[in-house]
Amino acid sequence: MEYKFVPSVCSYCGTGCGVLFQVMDGKLMGTMPLKTHPVNEGKLCLKGWNLHEYINSDMRLKSPLIKFNGRFRKVTWDRAIQFTARKLNEVVKKYGPDSVGVLVSAKITNEENYLAQKFARAAIGTNNVDHCARL
Amino acid sequence: MDMRTEVRQWLEQDKVDVFLGYKMIEGHPLPHFFSKDNLEEVDALVTGPARYPLEKIASSIATEKPGIKIGLLGRECTQRALNVLYIWNQLSPDNVKTLNVNCCPSRLEAHGDCSYLEPKPSGDYKKQMGLDNNMATEQTDIYSQEERFSRWIYEFQKCIKCYGCRNICPVCFCKECSLEHPDLVGTGALPAEVPIFHMVRAVHMAGRCIDCGLCEDACPMDIPLRLLYRKVNEIVKETFDYEAGISQLQPPFSVLGDTVTLEPKPLEMA
Repeated sequence: MEYKFVPSVCSYCGTGCGVLFQVMDGKLMGTMPLKTHPVNEGKLCLKGWNLHEYINSDMRLKSPLIKFNGRFRKVTWDRAIQFTARKLNEVVKKYGPDSVGVLVSAKITNEENYLAQKFARAAIGTNNVDHCARL
Repeated sequence: MDMRTEVRQWLEQDKVDVFLGYKMIEGHPLPHFFSKDNLEEVDALVTGPARYPLEKIASSIATEKPGIKIGLLGRECTQRALNVLYIWNQLSPDNVKTLNVNCCPSRLEAHGDCSYLEPKPSGDYKKQMGLDNNMATEQTDIYSQEERFSRWIYEFQKCIKCYGCRNICPVCFCKECSLEHPDLVGTGALPAEVPIFHMVRAVHMAGRCIDCGLCEDACPMDIPLRLLYRKVNEIVKETFDYEAGISQLQPPFSVLGDTVTLEPKPLEMA
């Protein structure tokens, strides 16, 4: 039997609470607060306590989906990105760059957020950038 | 004998299959599994200062792998929790071996390895509106009944219903929890049903709570849970002379098992 405790950061919101995953034989069994973490000091909210449930959930989306003829179909990442790029180009060409908005997230890193706004301003050409934590 | 030498011997002589202790990982004292396959790691075994519910982890492993022999670091609260888990057949004493270590610092013990349960001082507003977490149960009697009630309600209404008190509790092991039962507690909605949510848990802690303080430590809203469960268990002690974690029998008001020692009160007809 292999049983590991893996320290990590909660992926739910931008607070960044420390969590400790309990992993048995490669399967995530449970989540605990990281007692010595400076952010949450051994406390968690309901969402943090249940991280293992959504990671193991059957409902979890593991690949991108594209809607064909009214039904979602699994596609590769390459295909999804190509498809999205083409559609975005069409929209920008037809309605102008300000018809596009970019919503970034607290669940991604600072650097990824920077890239997303760079993409909005430099590639698309709009200032319509917002963040999910600015509710 | 040195603690690490002893653990190494236990593992080498197959007295235990795994040993549950702490190891410093990335600057954090984390629970760690020591086994025969990684004996050299035993040198890194530490006793604290954080405290995780090792006995809860042990019983969850025992559920998955019945018959596994587990060794673990045992503070005083760990011993009491293990007693409760033995009584309720969650762990078998034959399969558990504890290495006794120092407990929280107190007047009696100059040196403690578990500083995380040292009482933290409560703020002025909390003292004015609610209850000081460090109060002794008798001290709450200085308030009139109405005041005490309003102070408790102030504490309870802060609850964000994270279920952390239950999730971290070493003696909470039920598969179906009353706190998730729609007939007993309003589920799925916030704020938590006050004070039913806390009362349901408090009643279930009667004859169960071993006063380890992990629930209060895990509470994001600083609710004096330890004080509440202490009070509940004082009543249990006075009425039934039963002390959870020390007594070797199931609580007298247990309705599980073959014997019911308490006469259930007949329901009054409306």
